Amino acid sequence: MIDQDADFLKRLLVTFAGEAQEHLQGLCSGLLKLEKNEETPENRAKLVETIYREAHSLKGASRAVNQVEIEALCQSLEDIFAAFKKNALQSSAGLFDLLQEVVDFLGHVLTDVGTARTHEDKIRQRQLIKQLEEAVGTEPPQEATLVPPHPDPTIQRDTAAPRVTDSSIQKGTAPSVMPDTVRVSTARLTSVLLQTEEMLSAKLASSQRVLDMRSASAVFSTWNKEWARVQPLLHEIGPAIFPDGDRRQSPGSTDIKNALARVLDFMDWNSTFIKSLETRLKSEVMSAEQDDRIVGSMVNNLLSDMKKVLMFPFSSLLEILPKIVRDLSRENGKKIEMTICGGDIEIDRRILEEMKDPLVHLVRNCIDHGIESSLLRQEKGKPPCGTIRVAVSPLDDKVELTVTDDGGGISTEAVRTALLKLGTLSRATVAELGSNELLGHIFHSGITTSPIITEISGRGLGLAIVREKVENMGGTINVETALDSGTTFRMLLPLTVATLRGVLVRLGEQLFVLPAMHVVRVVRIKTEEVKTVENRETISIDGEVVSLTRLADVLELSSPRAKKNACNLQHLVILAAANLRIAFQVDEVLGELEVLQKGLGRQLSRVRNVAGATILGNGRVAPILNVTDLLKSAVKIATYSSGRNAETDRAEHEVRVSSVLVVEDSITTRTLLKNILESTGYNVVTAVDGMDACTKLEKGRFDIVISDVEMPRMNGFDLTARIRSDKNMSELPVVLVTALASREDRERGIDVGASAYIVKGNFDQSNLLEVIKSLI
Amino acid sequence: MMNRNAMSGIGKPGEDDQRRILKARTVALAEELVEDGAEGDQLEIVEFLLADERYAIESAYIGEVYPLKDLTPLPCTPSFVLGVINVRGKLLSIIDLRIFFEIANKGLSDLNRVIVLQNGTMEFGILADAIIDARWIPRATLLPSLPTLTEIRAEYLMGVTHERLIVLDGSKILSDRNLVVHDEV
Repeated sequence: MIDQDADFLKRLLVTFAGEAQEHLQGLCSGLLKLEKNEETPENRAKLVETIYREAHSLKGASRAVNQVEIEALCQSLEDIFAAFKKNALQSSAGLFDLLQEVVDFLGHVLTDVGTARTHEDKIRQRQLIKQLEEAVGTEPPQEATLVPPHPDPTIQRDTAAPRVTDSSIQKGTAPSVMPDTVRVSTARLTSVLLQTEEMLSAKLASSQRVLDMRSASAVFSTWNKEWARVQPLLHEIGPAIFPDGDRRQSPGSTDIKNALARVLDFMDWNSTFIKSLETRLKSEVMSAEQDDRIVGSMVNNLLSDMKKVLMFPFSSLLEILPKIVRDLSRENGKKIEMTICGGDIEIDRRILEEMKDPLVHLVRNCIDHGIESSLLRQEKGKPPCGTIRVAVSPLDDKVELTVTDDGGGISTEAVRTALLKLGTLSRATVAELGSNELLGHIFHSGITTSPIITEISGRGLGLAIVREKVENMGGTINVETALDSGTTFRMLLPLTVATLRGVLVRLGEQLFVLPAMHVVRVVRIKTEEVKTVENRETISIDGEVVSLTRLADVLELSSPRAKKNACNLQHLVILAAANLRIAFQVDEVLGELEVLQKGLGRQLSRVRNVAGATILGNGRVAPILNVTDLLKSAVKIATYSSGRNAETDRAEHEVRVSSVLVVEDSITTRTLLKNILESTGYNVVTAVDGMDACTKLEKGRFDIVISDVEMPRMNGFDLTARIRSDKNMSELPVVLVTALASREDRERGIDVGASAYIVKGNFDQSNLLEVIKSLI
Repeated sequence: MMNRNAMSGIGKPGEDDQRRILKARTVALAEELVEDGAEGDQLEIVEFLLADERYAIESAYIGEVYPLKDLTPLPCTPSFVLGVINVRGKLLSIIDLRIFFEIANKGLSDLNRVIVLQNGTMEFGILADAIIDARWIPRATLLPSLPTLTEIRAEYLMGVTHERLIVLDGSKILSDRNLVVHDEV
């Protein structure tokens, strides 16, 4: 029982902490508005009333959960505001400082509500209460509390609860009426959303099934063609053998005739059977298509509704800013005004949470680096009071968040100096950078233009973190600045997280997803259109010269085959981010699709050029690439790749490449062998077992087969025997690579006709390559 | 509890019988517990084969064993990271311990099994040729490794048994910062 009570109290305290935070936020922003003193007397009275109620509600709530200290402080606050209401109190800067201090203290106490207060906290609290009482001065505190507008704090709490979502609920409506909003813990909501998002893979899988079924049913057309060719023959055979048209067994006919009659009957039955099978499969495909459409639209609707549930107005994030600006500008001795607009625009809650730190950082940056001291401003002929403007506006299906200050701007020369100091780029490279490129560098870690490191900023980490956070959510950030007139940070954020549209591309046998938000265009160009400018390959798109690079090179995938395939037409994807635009050559562009981005797991905390991965409809995993990283990597390799092209070109003109069929059921061994052979210059095709190998051998020409022995369906011995018995392939060299080291196995290998027998335990790369060389 | 017993009591075994049966069960359960306690210093391990060598890891750090299929290689990762696999809708990175430990690559092996290593803060899969056994060994039988016995650095070892089974230190491997990939361009 005691445990249950404690548990209940704990849950109650959590609820209380959440509610109290809201009241506190209300108090805080009310106080800030009041301090500005821009309101009409009428509005002012309303404002005071609101603040008074917030303090009162907080008091009531604290009493309900037995938080005596908070209650006492709120009581004192309430007294002050009561005095305000009667205009019995002159507002002064000192008083507002004191009130903010109290709010800060309350915030501090609330963070670990339910635990015992420290001694210092208690002393501080007593001081604050005393100061508040002194501020009220002659007004006897008792009198103020005589007129509480809401005698019952519990009713007050109930109506205050849905305030975030619906402020129009009138106080005083009958408490029995169900409110039209409910509180659900975000953890629960997020879990539902995640499950809903997983439905997306069900949808993708369903579409994939339909495609598979369609291609299966297409096979029937081949059968129909073949059958149409044979069928007339059957019609000829029948009457020729059975002139009387009667196929039934007659005593006079021979055994062979009887057998033939049965075969012909079976052929007739078989063709009807296959035709009915075809019809059945076709109708199954149709119902699968219908189901797919229904599932697809259901999942889409569910997902978009679920996302709307998690949408929150920006204001919940922005309302913390005025306080930060107030406190920091005081500390720095600067005068700063803050304006906010577009706070009512809604966005995914998870993005808001992620954006909190970056936004606070940018605003701090504005105060610390951006806005000059009043004195300096006046010298420049600007108003002494600086302004920071945070604006939110919808832009297509995205949201643009801008943080603008009217301060000194960023000096590109200072960035250049900082880059040189960092020493990662050569002096010559830095000297060549244009102002746009230089500005892009302020988002790199280690770059700071601030001559001093302060508590707030100057360590050169901040903007790198801001960029990382924004990009992790699929957003972009860039900066515009003009010396002495200010700086604007412009962030483009998606409305919701997790699903993104991507362009699926192929490199060799690997698939990659490029976020569509960064894909400017997908084009096919002729090789002749590539022009070399200053040793760099470039193409011209809409009159603009764009430098060209190979995605495989940027991803450090050495794939000689990819280059060979680059015949006359090249597939290019033009990517852009952070003031940069580069064309990437890929083997094939497979199309656009909706993907659900997943993290790579805890061990892969950050991988160069890879943002995450997604699971495609067929269950395959495809890495999602990080475009900002790609662009940076491309710039990096461009510096030393120019000399290499000539060399690889020469290699491409080699004579016919030998092709190898690797048959192995273990994926790692298969990949290892493939890599070894490909890097030696062989053309490699893989098969997962003997059966698979037989199919591939029928389709293509190979110079040698390298096979494992123990495999499902058909083992290596049987495969070798099958190859030897085929007159077209009887001379094809077969190398068996196996874990079986016994003499009997080796002899069996020789018996079935293997050309070489390598035991895995003694496997050695050069040994294998020598064997292959001697056999081809 | 009592209420439900009373209700099901209609179908014979008297309340005394029930109590006796429950008592017997309690004793049986209690005995097993005592037994465990007596041999307290036991180590539950999973033994596996990797490139013809037998290794083991304490099973407390093993989440599950999973057949390896459809490994997707990731570009721009260190060579010990073989790629990622899809485990019920979640991605898991796969590590080849031989490369990480810099064990000379002796022969080919069929790395067909993924052993999922995990503690509260880290999770990844390591590859094995085969899982041999899951069993208990007395902690006391673990000997410090001889430098000549294995090429793995002593810091990743928990010890070696009499039968030359190399027991890896799961917690050390999981908390090794060198295994974490965090690369900027």
